[in-house]
Amino acid sequence: MDLAGAGFLKSRAIFPDNNGERRWARCVAHGEERRMDELIREFVIESQEGLDRMERCLTDLESRPDDAELLAEIFRTVHTIKGATGFLGFKGLETLAHSGENLLGMLRDGTIAADAHVITVLLDLLDGLRSILKRIEEEGGESCDGKELQDTELIRRLTALQTASTEAGAGSEREKCAAPLAKPESGRSQNESGANKADGHGTLPDDARAQGRGHGAEIAGVAATPPQSSAAESTLRVDVKLLNRLMNLVGELVLTRNQVLQATAADQGMTMLSRRLDMVTADLREGVMRARMQPVSNIFSKVPRMVRDLSHTLGRSVRLEMEGQETELDKSLLEAIKDPLTHAVRNALDHGIEAPAARVAQGKPEEGVLRLRAAQEGSHVVVEISDDGSGIAVESVRARAVERGLVAPERAAEMSKRELLQLIFLPGFSTARQVTNVSGRGVGMDVVRTNVEKIGGKVELDSQPGRGTTVRMRIPLTLAIIPALIVRSLGQSFALPQSALSELVHVSGEEAKRAIEWMEDAPVYRLRGHLLPLVILDRLLGAAAGDVGGREHFIAVLDADGRKYGLVVDGLADPEEIVVKPLSPILKSVGLYSGATVLGSAELALILDPGAMATMAGITVSERDNPGNRSDTDGEEASEFEYLVVSVGGRQAAVPLKEVLRIEQVPAARMEYVDRRPVLNFGGRLLRVEDPGGRLRSAASDASVLVVVCSDGARHAGIVVDQVLDVAKGSELMEAGSESAIPGLRLLCERVTSVFDLNLPSGRDATRCEEGFTQPAAEEQDGTNEPTMATSWRDAG
Amino acid sequence: MSKVPESESAKLIQVCSVRVAEELYGIPLGDILEIVGGARPQAVPLAPDFIAGLVHYRGDVLTTVNLRRVLGMPPAEMVQDLLVLEDADGPFGLAVDSVREVLTVSSADFEAKPSTVRKRKALFAGAFKLRDSLMVMLETAQLQPMRLAQLPEDV
Repeated sequence: MDLAGAGFLKSRAIFPDNNGERRWARCVAHGEERRMDELIREFVIESQEGLDRMERCLTDLESRPDDAELLAEIFRTVHTIKGATGFLGFKGLETLAHSGENLLGMLRDGTIAADAHVITVLLDLLDGLRSILKRIEEEGGESCDGKELQDTELIRRLTALQTASTEAGAGSEREKCAAPLAKPESGRSQNESGANKADGHGTLPDDARAQGRGHGAEIAGVAATPPQSSAAESTLRVDVKLLNRLMNLVGELVLTRNQVLQATAADQGMTMLSRRLDMVTADLREGVMRARMQPVSNIFSKVPRMVRDLSHTLGRSVRLEMEGQETELDKSLLEAIKDPLTHAVRNALDHGIEAPAARVAQGKPEEGVLRLRAAQEGSHVVVEISDDGSGIAVESVRARAVERGLVAPERAAEMSKRELLQLIFLPGFSTARQVTNVSGRGVGMDVVRTNVEKIGGKVELDSQPGRGTTVRMRIPLTLAIIPALIVRSLGQSFALPQSALSELVHVSGEEAKRAIEWMEDAPVYRLRGHLLPLVILDRLLGAAAGDVGGREHFIAVLDADGRKYGLVVDGLADPEEIVVKPLSPILKSVGLYSGATVLGSAELALILDPGAMATMAGITVSERDNPGNRSDTDGEEASEFEYLVVSVGGRQAAVPLKEVLRIEQVPAARMEYVDRRPVLNFGGRLLRVEDPGGRLRSAASDASVLVVVCSDGARHAGIVVDQVLDVAKGSELMEAGSESAIPGLRLLCERVTSVFDLNLPSGRDATRCEEGFTQPAAEEQDGTNEPTMATSWRDAG
Repeated sequence: MSKVPESESAKLIQVCSVRVAEELYGIPLGDILEIVGGARPQAVPLAPDFIAGLVHYRGDVLTTVNLRRVLGMPPAEMVQDLLVLEDADGPFGLAVDSVREVLTVSSADFEAKPSTVRKRKALFAGAFKLRDSLMVMLETAQLQPMRLAQLPEDV
């Protein structure tokens, strides 16, 4: 192959072969020069991925020192790096990788055993390689200032291991020479030696390119024999920028589709076409979003090494269990939870799991368990970090909070356990008796919460003294598209992220004067007996202070990092899934908006930042609305749930509030039927609808019905109700005599109310649905013969 | 201003001329991504004065500068035209009263701004002497919203 004048590398594809090794398959091009730094960049990315894999293998190796597969994988990684450095002329990297390879070769051949000491040295090798790669990435070359000494020391240790643990020195010598040649890619080996000879002055790209040309024939030879596996050729590296651009365009397409759908609604001839457009757009959007997804294992894989190092430093014995690593999350979100995960793991090891002796004394197994779990639940991904350690002593939290002046003593005395646990998330809090290297500086949990909330997620903490602690992060599936409530003020639309919205209050024109009360110049509203500070949106946005009375208003009750307040807006529009567009720095600096979006009506809307509005309006975390109070929905005891009280078929029924996603007014005509069962096209997804009151049958086609959209884990369902009555807390009803709780019934608003059981079977079999949706004992309780779920299903089908 | 060199041998340059009130301004054609007629920017409450608002442009939300406000004129009553400009920090919009035409002018007709221009002088590169009027050349980079925020009023 003629290579003169041609860049020796045109393009490179990654071909993972059956063993998962990524080879550098090189294709030779004519007439075009490929930039060297681009090549180096790819090499760095590639190698870093290899090292990540190697790290995982090394920690596994510790528990399975004889696993030949693992050793082979590690060997391959180091070998691949070494092979590539020959081309690129990174001398230091090559030398280090070479000595590592020698040791690994001996491990692989069973000459020496992989004991803890060897693994420690190998992990150091890994760090050494990483730091050189980092330098290459940042500075474009492996310029050594004193670093070289460290590497030399490492190489000495690597070599020492080889000579120390082999009885037959001569044998190992032969081994050493054989190792680099053991692989079939002879072209590469020759290149290495070529580079070695020529490389006198570091990393001149031209030098390397010259080398490449000189050995072009061999390179081409490698490319000419493609790996056998073709199934694995189906992966491709794509720039995140390109994905973002695609996401943007899809957002645009969604918008155009909405407008087309509106414009063609009346035209029968266009219906099929626009339906098709609708479907393709939805699929495309899902596809692009999926392309941005990465498995959680990308960040979980860092944990084994961390646990290993930490448990050595802290003298803990810890077993790590990981579950749900295949769960996928948007790349940017994955990045954002990296730090929180690290902090939570550090905390678990430092404050959670006790020293082995202490564990034995408490009758626990010597080895502690750290469990990482990831799972998708509806539109969220839940990441749990739990340990079986000492748990959090609530009393010491109380004492520490008072000591640090975070809470007034009187207030602390009356705080519930759940409230106290929330204090751990406050900045400056740590129960560790002393500050260690690992944690205890009081920033950890604060960082966890801040980072997770920044991406619209939530953190929960659960702890049983003596039994362990669980940190649960709930992360939205994607960042780019969020559900939002559209509110109107100043004659324009604003989007309010639903994650911060806890409820909506309607204040009619005649009520307004009375309902919105004033303390000096601060408006307040009595929300279930408590004063809720109000922020009047148009005033916050600079409108002249007009009279609030006399006009209709809505109060959106928001909860921003524990700061609870009501946002007074002029009107509400339908909730929408909005595509978040970033704002220019100048508008970000206004400090109220977190982005902008284009609504279905093609109108632009600014996205309000609930936290920033609270700050601007001077709302602070009040005593009552302390972080602890925020989670009072799932109260102290399980029986104290809050319920949405509705009326269905003339009777009072309830849905657990935390399962309610939305309440929507839906035109009856929009209801469609599959197997004569009602379903709803809900934001592009099919929503199964239950109609226990038989309202759909009686509704005129131009009427609209009220649908409560509920979620139960990953499944959603809609329930047609007559009207929404209230939100109430309910306690379990005890059966007279037996004193056992009656399932499915609660006392709400002083009436016995049946609670919808949303634990629906997924099968399409109607009889199974009936079982899942009956209202136990309801008929016996009050004797009325109201239609139950079961009957309505029969009627509908 | 690099794009309009005051060179010995005259070069021909393409400039888009825009009108604001009674004045004629010029923007190098190469800085313009697109011209959008009759845009209505969505106002952004609390944003600086010179921000006209947001405009939806090819899937992005563009921050738009109101050239009238930048030049200290009262805001326009009528629908304005919009230029989409681009500099190193990405695209942004510029609302002008109307876009006139693309002129091919000779660099020989260009003169740098006289030192007596004191107000907002960073915005102007100089002027082309057209037959019946002056076309004041704007410095595209200086119109970038973040730059404008740092621009002193009258220095």
